[in-house]
Amino acid sequence: MVYFAVFWLFPLGLAAYYSFTDYNLVQSPRWIGLQNYRNLASDTEFKHSVVVTALFTAGFVIPTVLLALLIATPLSRAKRGNVFLRSLFFVPAVMPLVASAILWQLIYQTDGLANTVLRWLGFAPVAWLTSPSVALWALVAMVVWKYLGLYILILTAGLQSVPTSVYHAAALDGAGPLRTFFKITLPLIRRTLLFVVVVAIIGAAQAFVPVYILTSGGPATATEVLPIYLFNNAFSYTAMGYASAIAMVLLIALVALSLIQFRIFRTGDE
Amino acid sequence: MSLHLTRGALAARLTIFAALLLTALVMLVPVYYMAVVSNEPNQSNLSAVWFHGFHFFHNIRLALTSHTYLRELLNSFIMSGGIAFLDVAIAGSAGYVLATMRFPGRRILFATIVATLALSPVAVVIPVYVMMFKIHWLNTYQGLIIPGMASAFGVFLVRQFAAGIPRQVIDAARLDRASEFRILLSVIMPLIRPALLTLFLLDFLAQWDNLLWPLVVASNPNYWTVAVGLASFSGEHGTLYSLLAATALVSAIPPFLLFVALQRYYVSGLTLGGLKG
Repeated sequence: MVYFAVFWLFPLGLAAYYSFTDYNLVQSPRWIGLQNYRNLASDTEFKHSVVVTALFTAGFVIPTVLLALLIATPLSRAKRGNVFLRSLFFVPAVMPLVASAILWQLIYQTDGLANTVLRWLGFAPVAWLTSPSVALWALVAMVVWKYLGLYILILTAGLQSVPTSVYHAAALDGAGPLRTFFKITLPLIRRTLLFVVVVAIIGAAQAFVPVYILTSGGPATATEVLPIYLFNNAFSYTAMGYASAIAMVLLIALVALSLIQFRIFRTGDE
Repeated sequence: MSLHLTRGALAARLTIFAALLLTALVMLVPVYYMAVVSNEPNQSNLSAVWFHGFHFFHNIRLALTSHTYLRELLNSFIMSGGIAFLDVAIAGSAGYVLATMRFPGRRILFATIVATLALSPVAVVIPVYVMMFKIHWLNTYQGLIIPGMASAFGVFLVRQFAAGIPRQVIDAARLDRASEFRILLSVIMPLIRPALLTLFLLDFLAQWDNLLWPLVVASNPNYWTVAVGLASFSGEHGTLYSLLAATALVSAIPPFLLFVALQRYYVSGLTLGGLKG
C-alpha cells in the first residue's frame, strides 16, 4: 500500500509541483508559477507535437478499428478454418514491440523490403523514414500491422457474445448480410467497439517505443509525438520543470479518456 | 436448425475466406522477411527476398562476440522476471486482502489504487527518475525493478477474482484451525491461480518491451536490457543488418514461449488488460 503512495501518488504530486518550477537537476527547483504553462501556450514546437500526436492517433485508430471489424465479423464464426486464420493474424501481436520496430526499421531502409516491392511494381523508391511527409505514415503502418491482430481478437470475443439465434431470426426474416451487420451486429457490439476505440486512443497517444526506434521524432520534428517531446525536454535538455508541464497536459487528456473508458467498463456487463 | 446454403452463398463464403487468408499472409510477409535477413550471408544486404542458405547461427555468433547481447538478455530476464514475480506476490496479496478482509478505509484505498490505473507511466517518469537520482539508484538492478514491482492493474485483477471466492470456503478453513498464512497458501492460492498467472504473463510481456524506463534509469550498458540494446544497435554497429535481425528474432523467443505456455490466460486477461491502457 505504501508502495503506491511512494511510486504513484507522491511522484504525481511531485510532477505537478515540478511543472510550476524551473528545474535542471543540478540546482534545486525554483518556483516560477504558471510560467511553464504560459511558455507551452506559445511554444510552436509543442503545438506541432500535439498535432503530430493527434494525426498519429487518428491514423492508427481509424484504420485499425475498421479493418479489425471488417476482418473479425466473418472470422467470429466458430469454424476450424477461422481459428487458424485468427492465429495467423495474431502473429505480429505476439512479436515484441521492440523487435517489431527493429524489423520495420529494416523494411524501411533505402534497399529494404518496402522499396523492393515498389520496384517490382514499377514505382520509384520512397525515403520512408527520412522524408518529412512520409515518415509519420510509415510509423502508422507499422503500428497498425502490429496491433491489428489484437483488436481482431477483442472484437471477436465481443462478436461471439451475440447469441446465434439472433442471426437465425434475421436470416428467417430475409435480412441480407449487410443489413444484418448494420442493424443487428453493430448495435449489439456497440459497447465492445467503444471500449476498443478508447483503449486504442489511449495507447496511441502515449506511444513511445515505435517512434523512438524508427525515427526518434525526426526527420527534424516531423514525427515528434508528445511522449518523445517530453522525453527530449527531460532527458536531453534536463528541462525537468518544462517536461513536467508537458506530462501534466498529457496526463489530463489521458485521464479524461480513461474516465470515459471506466464508465463504459462499469456499465458494460460483458 | 440448419441453414440451407445455396451455391451462391457458398461461393461468397469461399471468396471471403480466400480474401482473409490472403490478407493474413500479407501480414506475415514482414516476419518472413525478418527470417530472410537474419539468414543472409552478406550482413548488409537488405534487398534479399529469398533465402540464401542458412546462416542464422553464424550471424548470431557474430552478434554475440561483438556485442554485450548475452548480458542484455540476462538483464531483461532479471527485470521482466523480477517485476512479474514481485507484482504477483505484492499485488496478489494486496488484492486478496482488499477482497476478503474488512477494515476501515478499504474502499477508499481500493478506489485510489484503481485511480492510478488511469495514469500513464510517461506522466510519472520524471519524478521517479529524480527520486532514483537522489537515492543513487540509477544504474542499479533495484532501480530497474523496484519502481515497477507492483501494479494497480494487478491489485485490481486479483481483487476482482478473489471477490468471487465464497466466504464459506475461508470460514471452513478457519474452523479447521488453519492459520491465516496457511489459508492463503493452500486454500486461496489454488483458487486465484489463473489470475496470478495472467498477471505474471502480462507483466512479463509488458516489461520485456519496456524501453522508456531502462533507457532513462540505465545509462551504463552493463544494465541495459535487450530493448535498450536493440534500440541503440544501429548507432553502434552501423549496417550489419543481419546481426540486428538475428538478435531481434532471438529477443522475441522468450516472450513467445511464455505466451504459448500461458496463452489461455492471455485472452481472459485481455479485456481487463485493456484497462491498463
